[in-house]
Amino acid sequence: MNTRKIRDCAAGRSAGIRGCLDVWYRCFLKRLYLFIEKRIEQPVGGEQDGILRKPQPKRFTVKKHIIYVLVFSISGFLVITLPIILTMFIMSKNYKNLEGANAFFQNISMARQYEKDYFITSKGLDNVLLAVSEAKKVLIENYTSFAGEVKNGIEIGNLEEYERQLFILKDMESEEGSSVRKSSSVDFENYSEYLTKKEKISRKLNYYGIKINSFADTLVKNINESMEKSLLFFYVINVYVLVFLFILAFALIHLLSVRILRAIKELNAYTSSIAVGNFNISLPYRPFSDEFSDLKTSITQMMKELDRQQSVLAQSQKLRAVGTLTAGIAHELNNPINNIMLTAHMLLEDYFDICDEERVDMIRDLIDEAGRARLIVRNLLDFARESESIMEPICIGQVVKETMKIASSQIKLSGVFVDLNIPPNLPRIHGDRHQLEQVFLNLILNALYVTLKGGRISISVEYGTDEPNFVAVKVTDYGKGIQDHILQHIFDPFFTTKAKGKGTGLGLSVSQGIIAKHGGHISVNTKMNKGTTFTVKLPITTIPANIGSSADNYSVQIKK
Amino acid sequence: MEVLIIDDELIVGKRLKPALVKMGCEVEVFNEPRKALDRIGEKVFDVVITDIRMDDVDGMEILEHVMNKSKRTRVIMITGYAMMELARQAMEKGAFDFIAKPFKPDDLRGVVRKAAESLNIKLKET
Repeated sequence: MNTRKIRDCAAGRSAGIRGCLDVWYRCFLKRLYLFIEKRIEQPVGGEQDGILRKPQPKRFTVKKHIIYVLVFSISGFLVITLPIILTMFIMSKNYKNLEGANAFFQNISMARQYEKDYFITSKGLDNVLLAVSEAKKVLIENYTSFAGEVKNGIEIGNLEEYERQLFILKDMESEEGSSVRKSSSVDFENYSEYLTKKEKISRKLNYYGIKINSFADTLVKNINESMEKSLLFFYVINVYVLVFLFILAFALIHLLSVRILRAIKELNAYTSSIAVGNFNISLPYRPFSDEFSDLKTSITQMMKELDRQQSVLAQSQKLRAVGTLTAGIAHELNNPINNIMLTAHMLLEDYFDICDEERVDMIRDLIDEAGRARLIVRNLLDFARESESIMEPICIGQVVKETMKIASSQIKLSGVFVDLNIPPNLPRIHGDRHQLEQVFLNLILNALYVTLKGGRISISVEYGTDEPNFVAVKVTDYGKGIQDHILQHIFDPFFTTKAKGKGTGLGLSVSQGIIAKHGGHISVNTKMNKGTTFTVKLPITTIPANIGSSADNYSVQIKK
Repeated sequence: MEVLIIDDELIVGKRLKPALVKMGCEVEVFNEPRKALDRIGEKVFDVVITDIRMDDVDGMEILEHVMNKSKRTRVIMITGYAMMELARQAMEKGAFDFIAKPFKPDDLRGVVRKAAESLNIKLKET
């Protein structure tokens, strides 16, 4: 019970720590981002020449970002290397100190050992002196570095005193030796004095020896301690710097990668929507100008160019379709002209022989027929004219009827019957009247092309059958149908089954472009030897008639 | 001389009728080719003037019909500019002549006069 409680508590704490870290990291990232943004987005221009300008995002390229990360990493590396080098330097110094202290300690110990030996055997005083002078040498050599390690300063006095005592002892010994050599009889009085003296020196030596010994001991201990202390200090410093740098580097790289990946994802979405023929998309605002902004600019440029190319292509295709119409139009135009010619001639011939009523009737005929001719020409010119794209709410039934007027002469000429089925009260759609006329004309001309004289085609408008928000225009012929290997190419530009010089192969491709621009799609359904139906689906406008004069945000879907 | 005019353009018949009557022809006008075919079945005309392109029955059919009925009848085809090929076919099938829209009444009168000459019928001078 108790242990579980403890475990829970521990788990809770660790989770708490993790959560806290997470919050900290997020907060840190946000701050960093804001900081970069603030550095970059200093207010520019503002209101100039009385025109409110959209603030131009400051330039902060990905290259710069990468350079920042690189510079940061390198400086971080340097920052982390410096303390390591410093640690190594200090440690090596400490080690040298330690070595010196050890040598000193060893020499002192040796001197003490030899001293003891001397008092037992009365031999080897020179060894003691040698060891002491050695110790002294070490101490003098390392004087400055040792000075910092002990509180009470270097007790060199003790060592010198010790050495002095040794010299006294040596003097005494040499005196003793010479006196022994001088007189063979032993002066007991002198000897006992000598012994007392020796005893006294021995005590003194012992006193200073202990002091020196403890000094050496403290020195070694202190150096050891300070070594350990600095080791620990640098260890902690290094760990902290490492952790800090790691977090900062991670955050910078995180920002960089998020930035790049997001931009790529966005651009990918846009290019794929361009691929299906929708050039009317606006790319999102970027917080700062960088390589992706350049790419965005060039994509926008490309889309504008594509859009322009498409309209040029559409116009040339339209004129081509008009070319197809000319035979029918010429024939159609000949009828009113013929009527006018006959009537005018007869009026001139019989002017004085006929009554006023007949004359008026003839003049009326003249006017009516002239009007008829004008209408034919106007329909054609209206259609052929290069016009600005005007997106407006339109009734699709009306557009189909207008198209029928344009195509009527061709229909008459080819001797084909058209079943037209346009239900009343169709919902409005948002689109360009002339462009849609072009699409329907293309479909009707294609249907006429495959229909033999005396055959029929059917054109119908349907609403709310399978897709509730779309209105569908169906153009059906009862010809041979389209073979599979041809079917997959019919929307390709410059693909045609017509004889050389008869078709450009642009009709369906241009039509598809126009319908995609309207947010709709063209589909085809064909059965061998039964016929083919082309269905154009266009989205119904749910917005009030006057609002929304752009067709920006339609979803695009093209079925082939 | 008995003349039949078939054209679905009302004005053509309306204006050509007085023009030909002045030459001394007896003129019947039909705007619906189907009714004209019925009439051809009933009566043999000296000259049939027909438009080639009409909604219901086209001029070629009428030509064939007339030719089957009577080889003597002169058929004059009215064509649009775009249908020269069709006109040539009509000539091969036995049409007397063709005249392209738009034409003057005198142009047609000239053709009708030629047809009358070929039938040895004398027409009035206008």
